[in-house]
Amino acid sequence: MKTLEKMRAAMRRERSLRRMAPDIVYDPDLDTSHGPILYLENITVSFDGFKALNDLNLYIDDGELRCIIGPNGAGKTTMMDVITGKTRPDAGTVFFGQTIDLLRLNEPEIAAEGIGRKFQKPTVFEQQTVHENLELAMHADKRVWPTLRARLTGEQRDRIGEVLDIIGLTAQCQSRAGLLSHGQKQWLEIGMLLMQNPRLLLVDEPVAGMTGHETERTAELLNSLAGQHSVVVVEHDMEFVRSIARTVTVLHEGSVLAEGDMNEVQNDPKVIEVYLGE
Amino acid sequence: MRLFPSLLDNDRGGRIFMGLLGVVCVLVPIFNLAVPETSPFHMSTYTVTLLGKYLTFALLALSVDLIWGYCGILSLGHGAFFALGGYAMGMHLMRQIGERGVYGHPVLPDFMVFLNWEKLPWYWYGFDQFWFAMLMVMLVPGLLALVFGWLAFRSRVTGVYLSIITQALTFALMLAFFRNEMGFGGNNGLTDFKDILGFNLQSDGTRIGIFLASAIALTLAYLACRYIVDSKMGRVVKAVRDAEDRTRFLGYRVEQYKLWLFVFSAVLAGIAGALYVPQVGIINPGEFSPINSIELVIWVAVGGRGTLYGAIAGALLVNYGKTYFTAAMPEVWLFALGLLFVLVTRFLPAGIVGLLRRRGAEAAT
Amino acid sequence: MRPWRGLAAVLAAFILLLPTLPAAAEEADYDFSAAVDALRVKSYADKEVAISALADTGNDRSIEVLEGLLVGRLFYRKSDQRMVLAEPQDVDYEIRDAATGEPLGTTGKRKLKKIGINNKLRKHLRGTIARLNLAHNDPAVRMAAVKEMMRNLDAAASDLLRAAMARERDVKVREAIRSGIALADLDSPDAAIRLRAVTDLTGSLLPEARNRLSGLAERNADGSSSGPDETVSLAARKALQSIESKLALNRLAETVFFGLSLGSVLLLAAIGLAITFGVMGVINMAHGELIMLGAYTTYLVQLAMPNHLDYSLFVAIPAAFLVAGLFGIAIEQGVIRYLYGRPLETLLATFGISLILQQLVRTTISAQNVAVSNPSWMSGSMEINPALAITYNRLYILIFALLVFAALLAVLKRTSLGLQVRAVSQNRAMAKAMGIRSEWVDAMTFGLGSGIAGVAGVALSQLTNVGPNMGQSYIIDSFMVVVFGGVANLWGTLVGAMSLGVANKFLEPFAGAVLAKILVLVFIILFIQKRPRGLFPQKGRAAEG
Ligand SMILES: Nc1ncnc2c1ncn2[C@@H]1O[C@H](COP(=O)(O)OP(=O)(O)OP(=O)(O)O)[C@@H](O)[C@H]1O
Ligand SMILES: [Mg+2]
Repeated sequence: MKTLEKMRAAMRRERSLRRMAPDIVYDPDLDTSHGPILYLENITVSFDGFKALNDLNLYIDDGELRCIIGPNGAGKTTMMDVITGKTRPDAGTVFFGQTIDLLRLNEPEIAAEGIGRKFQKPTVFEQQTVHENLELAMHADKRVWPTLRARLTGEQRDRIGEVLDIIGLTAQCQSRAGLLSHGQKQWLEIGMLLMQNPRLLLVDEPVAGMTGHETERTAELLNSLAGQHSVVVVEHDMEFVRSIARTVTVLHEGSVLAEGDMNEVQNDPKVIEVYLGE
Repeated sequence: MRLFPSLLDNDRGGRIFMGLLGVVCVLVPIFNLAVPETSPFHMSTYTVTLLGKYLTFALLALSVDLIWGYCGILSLGHGAFFALGGYAMGMHLMRQIGERGVYGHPVLPDFMVFLNWEKLPWYWYGFDQFWFAMLMVMLVPGLLALVFGWLAFRSRVTGVYLSIITQALTFALMLAFFRNEMGFGGNNGLTDFKDILGFNLQSDGTRIGIFLASAIALTLAYLACRYIVDSKMGRVVKAVRDAEDRTRFLGYRVEQYKLWLFVFSAVLAGIAGALYVPQVGIINPGEFSPINSIELVIWVAVGGRGTLYGAIAGALLVNYGKTYFTAAMPEVWLFALGLLFVLVTRFLPAGIVGLLRRRGAEAAT
Repeated sequence: MRPWRGLAAVLAAFILLLPTLPAAAEEADYDFSAAVDALRVKSYADKEVAISALADTGNDRSIEVLEGLLVGRLFYRKSDQRMVLAEPQDVDYEIRDAATGEPLGTTGKRKLKKIGINNKLRKHLRGTIARLNLAHNDPAVRMAAVKEMMRNLDAAASDLLRAAMARERDVKVREAIRSGIALADLDSPDAAIRLRAVTDLTGSLLPEARNRLSGLAERNADGSSSGPDETVSLAARKALQSIESKLALNRLAETVFFGLSLGSVLLLAAIGLAITFGVMGVINMAHGELIMLGAYTTYLVQLAMPNHLDYSLFVAIPAAFLVAGLFGIAIEQGVIRYLYGRPLETLLATFGISLILQQLVRTTISAQNVAVSNPSWMSGSMEINPALAITYNRLYILIFALLVFAALLAVLKRTSLGLQVRAVSQNRAMAKAMGIRSEWVDAMTFGLGSGIAGVAGVALSQLTNVGPNMGQSYIIDSFMVVVFGGVANLWGTLVGAMSLGVANKFLEPFAGAVLAKILVLVFIILFIQKRPRGLFPQKGRAAEG
């Protein structure tokens, strides 16, 4: 009975995920013809002389799922800050596709280009309901006047319903987000990412505070997103990384220490030293 | 007409407020105009004007609640927009005086004759036209808010910093308007108004008319604000209030949302000022004083911010208290006001409305 | 009045010395009183002789007697012909013996007869007094005499000056005498002497020098010089130029000083705020009222010690620190403590407190301004040169502000409270975890900031009116300083206060005081756009909260 339920739910999700195909058109200029969708080159970020990122080079392929690991303070979150426009690097270039220079855009413009982000510390709009949170995240015209006039279409309502289903918060859809548990907030943030339906998802520590079962579901979800979307996941939970990873990048002291599949990376003496030497 | 009920469907406080306001709007003219003066039920024109003044304060409070309660922008300079609207109206009324001034100059207001000015400064042109003045009532505060807000929000000045520079803004304007060279009557401001649209400002009928105009303006502003906060824009704005950065990463241009809300709020404040001036009969630079702007924030806090009707209730209550105290025990008023600030922030963060809601929720369980 | 007091001191010393030199002193006294008596003669010619004789006695009291004669205060008593100096009291005169200064009580106007003088005598008197003063022991008296003479330079005066020059040792006085002689020489018939005089006056800052030189330098309509000869006029023009540029420099210095003085006021007002706002993130709108409390403490201290006004400030400073500090701690404990993390609410609550404090002062003391007096050492001014004088109260307050700043810096850098304060301001949670009692630190920090506001109030009471509203006039300015300088950085507050003060004073001549203030406000509003965290921003992740 239980397995049946589970299978049914999985199938439902599968269906809805497929429907998430990018029917929404992003910037037609996004040119991924050479493979990578994101180019980070020679990025340096320093805070009062301390280099949080040090000549970092990183390429993410279109449709790939990349895991990024590294000890605390390696610069993982800072890297996401650079991509999303929160932090300006002192040097280096960031390109989305071949042509879009992210360093010339601000946060909302970058988001509008199709880059979504889940924060390390879950930040949802606590005073508003789960439903409203999802509506806010929804891909739509986000200028002031259209937003003032916006009314939810039936299609959009369905979409919110589907995502609620995926993140398992249908029952809580009218309760205030502030009342959710830590894990539920994580799910809500993931749901908001889904609503944004971005080309590139940056997911910072998605499973912190989740139960083993929920971690599995997250892994499953992220796996199914890859292909249509490019996904970058930062995570400390090695089990989780192993369960989803195809390519793993190890950051250390602001630059890439190693890159490869999970086994390669785990047996890399430099990586072992960094992790065990601490 | 479907619009109104649908807007107020989920707004019990709004419905109550609209209902009360409607009743008052019927009763006040009757008690003032129809009931003979000898009857104990007669309402003096003084009281009508007082009520009308409260309504303009309520409108001002509404404008502050819109940005503070919903967007977290604590403007401590909203009195400036109110005063600018008031000055625009005052300039119109000034030009309506015509030759009836003390010096009997056909064009120049008295204070300009007094200062030996030869001709009207260019920025006084057009104010003889009612429509033009009304346009300026909205345009001047709106434009100031646009420029100020654009500068401030673009560089992400938030929180207390913003509050402080709005204080500086209204302070600077006050100093400027105190100067005779500015051409707004300096210290004394604009006063001695005679009539508006041809109606004598002192007559009971005109007073009732302005009272009703204030009530209508308040109603329309309330509905407009309700429309905004219930729309998706309202939800974005609340999102900005609670997690500004997060909203940006969702693709919203936070600055623009803040800016337009701020401008709209400033326009409302300007309208409130324009309705205030003909009722009190004077506008002077004291209206810009930083304290006024802070005081009006406490009206909103007392009523309960982020509810719209709470702001209105707060404005009415505090101002009634002020009228009462300043007449009965003037020395006590500042103590009372000061205590109000302390007690409300300390014990009633959600204001009276919050208290009532909590009571209601407790009663329900 | 001053020299009289000095004279009294000399006199006192003289009296103390009396027993040791009885005979000589008595004899001199006798000669002197005879010389004074000689003034009683009828004929003006004889009086002139008597005046010179009196001056020649070399007695210190002669100046006083002659001055009395000049202003019509020298009388003789009809009953015993005794020469007296008389001060008019309500109806009667209070008299002293002219020769000895011994008080003789009061007497009716009728019983006295004035020693009359005419214009010629008056002139002679002035010269004589000036000559005596030029020979006085105190350089300040000599300086004043030179100044006095320069207002009315004639041949006699110029001779006096030349004679004085030969004796004079004090550099400043010599300088003044030289200018005086040169001024006199400008009228010399000899062109060479005139030319030298002009050269001597080059760079002199005396207003007289400037007036005379510009007279000489004037051109006629056709461009030729109006003076008798061309070279002198040319030299005068050059001298004038150098004077003008020197004056401009002095004006600049004066503006800078006024700016720094305003800056020191701003610094005093803002520095306590820099602590409460900068370190604790608390917007204290009642800060201005804490300053007011400090000023009122000064007032009350002066009420309590009316006979020791000169020392009152030294009592008032610690008292004001305590009063304002305790009020501050009470505010923190009663209200602010419950509002941490809600800065906008804190702002409103403290504004309420400011209203209460104002009204408290209005009802308990007075709604009017109260009079706080300046101790004598605070009044007067220090003359740096004839074109630049600095008032002592501004100077002392500037120094005081810097001292307070240094003291505060030392407290934050060197004491354990300072260390804890800095720890809490940088990372409250971490500091707490390390066992710092952050509540206690908060209360102390707030008390410190408030206490300094009180001390500022003592200083401000010496510059401005003390009244219930005085706090309000500082609050916006002090916030501007803190915001401009950068939160949580005392140096920022110092630089911010001083530069705003100086900027204000430089704008004033062009724009007027009000417009200058508006311009500064607008500038800050624009500045915050560019640098939202001020001149010296706090860095790090904590700052991004
Ligand atoms: N705004 C800032 N100011 C100063 N230092 C910063 C700032 N942001 C990040 N850092 C520093 O940069 C380094 C990298 O931080 P980052 O958050 O990117 O690490 P991380 O890899 O995400 O670590 P974790 O696994 O703990 O999340 C850290 O040492 C951090 O202290
Ligand atoms: Mg991180």
